[in-house]
Amino acid sequence: MEPKAAPSLQERGIVFDVQQFSLHDGPGIRTTIFFKGCPLRCRWCQNPESHRYSMELSYSRDRCIRCNECVRVCPAGAVRDDECRFDMSRCTLCGSCAEACPARAVRVVGMEYSPEALMAEAGRDRDFFSGSGGGVTLSGGEPMGQHRFLAAFCPMLKAQGIHILLETCGHFEWSAMEGLLPFLDLVYFDLKHADDGAHRKWTGVGNGLILENLGRLSASGVPVQPRMPVIPGVNDGGENIAATAALLRGYGQGVIHLLPYHNLGEGKRRQLDSPSEYIALEPMQEGAMERVKNLFVEEGLDVVLYR
Amino acid sequence: MSYYIDEMRPLPARAAALREEVQGAVQSVCTERAIIWTQYHRRRENRKKPAVVRMAEALAEVLARKSIAIYPGELIVGNFSSKRVGGSIFPELHGVPVMLDLLRFRNRETNPLAVTGKEIRSLLAVIPFWMFRFMALRAYRSPLARIRFVADQLKAHFYLINESGGISHIAPDYEKLIRIGAGGFIAEIEERERDSAPDEVARDLYRAMKIIAEGIARFGERYGELAAAMAGEEADPAKRRELEAIAESCRRVPRGGAETFRDAVQSLFFAQIALNLESLDNSVCPGRMDQYLYPYYRRDLERGLITRDEAKELLACFSIKMSEIIPVFSSHLTNFHGGMFNGQVVTVGGVDRNGSDGVNELTYIFLELMDQLRMRQPNYHARVHAASPRQYMDIITGMLARGSNTPALYCDESIIAMMTKNGYSLEDARDYTGVGCVEPVSQGKSFSSTDAAIFNVPLCLEMALNGGRRFGHLFRSGARTGPAGSLMTMDSVKGAFEAQLRRKMGDLIRDLRAVELANRRYHPTPLTSMLIDGCIDAGRCSTAGGARYNFSGVQCVAPADTGDALFAVERAVFQEGRYTMKGLVAHLKRNLRDQRVRLYLRNLEKFGNDREETDRWTLYVIDRFGETLRSFGKNTRGGGYVTGLYSVTAHEYFGRITGALPSGRRRGEPFASGIAPESGMDRFGPTAVCNSVNRIDFTKIGNGVNLNAKFDPHSLRGDEGRAALQGLIQTYFRRGGMQMQINVLDPEMLAAARDDPALYPNLMVRVSGYSSYFNDLTPAMKDEIIRRSLYQC
Repeated sequence: MEPKAAPSLQERGIVFDVQQFSLHDGPGIRTTIFFKGCPLRCRWCQNPESHRYSMELSYSRDRCIRCNECVRVCPAGAVRDDECRFDMSRCTLCGSCAEACPARAVRVVGMEYSPEALMAEAGRDRDFFSGSGGGVTLSGGEPMGQHRFLAAFCPMLKAQGIHILLETCGHFEWSAMEGLLPFLDLVYFDLKHADDGAHRKWTGVGNGLILENLGRLSASGVPVQPRMPVIPGVNDGGENIAATAALLRGYGQGVIHLLPYHNLGEGKRRQLDSPSEYIALEPMQEGAMERVKNLFVEEGLDVVLYR
Repeated sequence: MSYYIDEMRPLPARAAALREEVQGAVQSVCTERAIIWTQYHRRRENRKKPAVVRMAEALAEVLARKSIAIYPGELIVGNFSSKRVGGSIFPELHGVPVMLDLLRFRNRETNPLAVTGKEIRSLLAVIPFWMFRFMALRAYRSPLARIRFVADQLKAHFYLINESGGISHIAPDYEKLIRIGAGGFIAEIEERERDSAPDEVARDLYRAMKIIAEGIARFGERYGELAAAMAGEEADPAKRRELEAIAESCRRVPRGGAETFRDAVQSLFFAQIALNLESLDNSVCPGRMDQYLYPYYRRDLERGLITRDEAKELLACFSIKMSEIIPVFSSHLTNFHGGMFNGQVVTVGGVDRNGSDGVNELTYIFLELMDQLRMRQPNYHARVHAASPRQYMDIITGMLARGSNTPALYCDESIIAMMTKNGYSLEDARDYTGVGCVEPVSQGKSFSSTDAAIFNVPLCLEMALNGGRRFGHLFRSGARTGPAGSLMTMDSVKGAFEAQLRRKMGDLIRDLRAVELANRRYHPTPLTSMLIDGCIDAGRCSTAGGARYNFSGVQCVAPADTGDALFAVERAVFQEGRYTMKGLVAHLKRNLRDQRVRLYLRNLEKFGNDREETDRWTLYVIDRFGETLRSFGKNTRGGGYVTGLYSVTAHEYFGRITGALPSGRRRGEPFASGIAPESGMDRFGPTAVCNSVNRIDFTKIGNGVNLNAKFDPHSLRGDEGRAALQGLIQTYFRRGGMQMQINVLDPEMLAAARDDPALYPNLMVRVSGYSSYFNDLTPAMKDEIIRRSLYQC
């Protein structure tokens, strides 16, 4: 099949990071593209800058040298004197402050890309992809939140022979996925909790749509790899693990990847005007992961532990 | 059978014991060479002899009189010095400044060396004889020029002429020595004397070669006699048999050709010692040992004389022996050549002279040894090409991913293309090995002064921005170019920079040529000449251009700092108009005290992030450097001057003495090493760095390049990490990369090692092209390593 999705020039993607030499987001040397915006609000989320679909301002008090350049240049008068306080109701996200800031303490998080422009970024390491069995990983946020952009972008990657891996939380309309399927080489599919109520409590949405999509993807012929972030006290109990394993078996999935909780996003959270609820936990101990792993193994699943 | 090294195997007991002895030994100064050399030259009857004969006789006398010892458990014997781990002093080369530093050796912070009061007194006694006879002083005749040059070199702000310490930097023709022995060389030379009509110069050279050939033959026999005597007194039958085997081998080689694998290793090790005593004890490189030793190994295997394990044990003994030598440098020279390392390269793998892959069983033995020994010396290099065996690549990348930090990797395709373009024959280019740090030469055929000089490029930009004066200086030390206010376009900035570059590189070449002639005249090297192809045929010493290939390397230090500074000028002054040229220079003179200015400049894009608009300035600097160098024509040995992109530790020293740069780097901060991006300025990781560096046309970099890629241990964990590393290396090479070395660093470990040197005495890091123990680095270098590794994590 030779799909000819015409890239619409109007379609823009909003991306908050393009990370080269990613070694832990799929096989080989990869470039990971972090799309902005997510339908979930997982309370342990370490990428708070991924929540909103729109661009936003980030300000680091630690980097700020109190030079007040931002105050001077802001056309909307949104930055108040002396303490560099940002009045977000006035801010138009014009970016003047970020451009003027010598210390790079103020940044605009998120950048608009045309498919062509993002292709230029994603293609920088093409030689390394082919030399290592790597490729591009679409991550976020939730990349499916920008599926129309992906419909223009993925064919461009494929035209260059680049391996595409999609990382998703699974919360999307299936119709958005159908057109993308021919381009995806691998899908990393996150499961947060097997119980609908608990899922709603911890992530803000139920898991009905997510499980439905996992079922459809599993039957679609595209290789799917289920993954689970292990959050102490949230989803690491025996009951949830047994239920998750049962779900996976039902979809014919025999392997799960387990990602340990970490709190490396702590600093980022403070730099954003972020209202989302958040639980802070201690980083995982290696032994705790082993315990979860063994429970899955007892349920008959193969487990890959991330570090 | 698979030799894949899954994890560190324990070392064989003998090698483990020898390593412990060597690593535990106190690094000491040995006075023997300096004293015997002086005694020889003081004798009246020797003063009238031709210089080349004097060198041969003096070296032969050192070899005949120096103390010798066979240590318990050794299978390969020979001593670089009278100490277990020691270094010699070369009073006729760089030795006088070194000796003036004597009293400080014991207590200096970096690389302290043991020396007794008696030894100090005996060394002080030889200083007067050499005070007006050492190399740097002999470069010029006029007293004023002498004083100017020596004073210049003691500061070395613009450049350092390493060649005034001697040349060395050779990969001798050990294959031939092993095959025909010193006796074979004598016969060949005698034949040459009979059949050709040598002129006087050639006659003197041949006479000298025969003297020193006899000298190294006798040197081996001394060990034969010592081993036999020790065997006679040995009660333990196993140990007695070992000593008898040593005696047997040393009676045969190096006088005769090797009959066994063991003879071959022993023969080359004696020559290795002698060459290190002839001229500068730096970068005498055995080179492609897995290639030229393999026929002996195979023959012994077939005859049932040796097993794989026995061969490995012999090579382990050899490898450990190579760590028994250290360089004795003054504190000043330690700034440039940190890390107590003599640059003795052993290269494995790569294609042979016919272009087929040369990996063999010895290659794998060497790989196991470098992983298991992890010692400072020799400096192990591995050559790779597109058709290198899978197993070979897997083992190497496995070792590196686990943090062995050795071997350094070299790409055959790129290096052979560069060498043939520079005039090497295809076969000779295929037979290349690195010498010193990263410099490719043809084994047994090149006499290239690869570390002739090191040049401080950013200082030229400093002067270009300030009318030919360094910041804060009243006198103009560079070319007369316009003041900052007159630089109205980027072209005028480039013009001023190029004028400074021409002036200072011109000064360098003038001094270098004087030193080349002084080496030829006062310090010919007959033993080196005998072991480098072409000198016997030509009847000319290697210092006089007798060798087949004769390049001189000049190192371009801190191209990225300079390129980033030029980009910053373009962006800040001519594109954004944020500052005037005059205003910017005023900030630089104030050492970027204003945080706003400094941070703005620092946060501008830098080399190493795969951005064409920035990278092109570093390419411009490298290109201008190379073209300027080329404009000076040939050296006095008839070879070209070629660019090197490595800095050893000079980037740290040159950084210390250079003012603030428009890149936002403040006065005194270290420059980037080799061709690496400025420290902490590569934001997108190693692939982006490779993309930037791959923009360089390496066929123009005749003296080699050093790219240090650093990783935190985490990212290379497991087989996925190893495979990714392999993909990175192979892709970089496929696109023209020349050399790469992999450092896996753990910042916590490094910080602990800095705070307590006793904690990890053997912690090894790669500093610009070679391995060194962390403890041997200057405090500033340690901090730099830690800072870099923190950034990585």
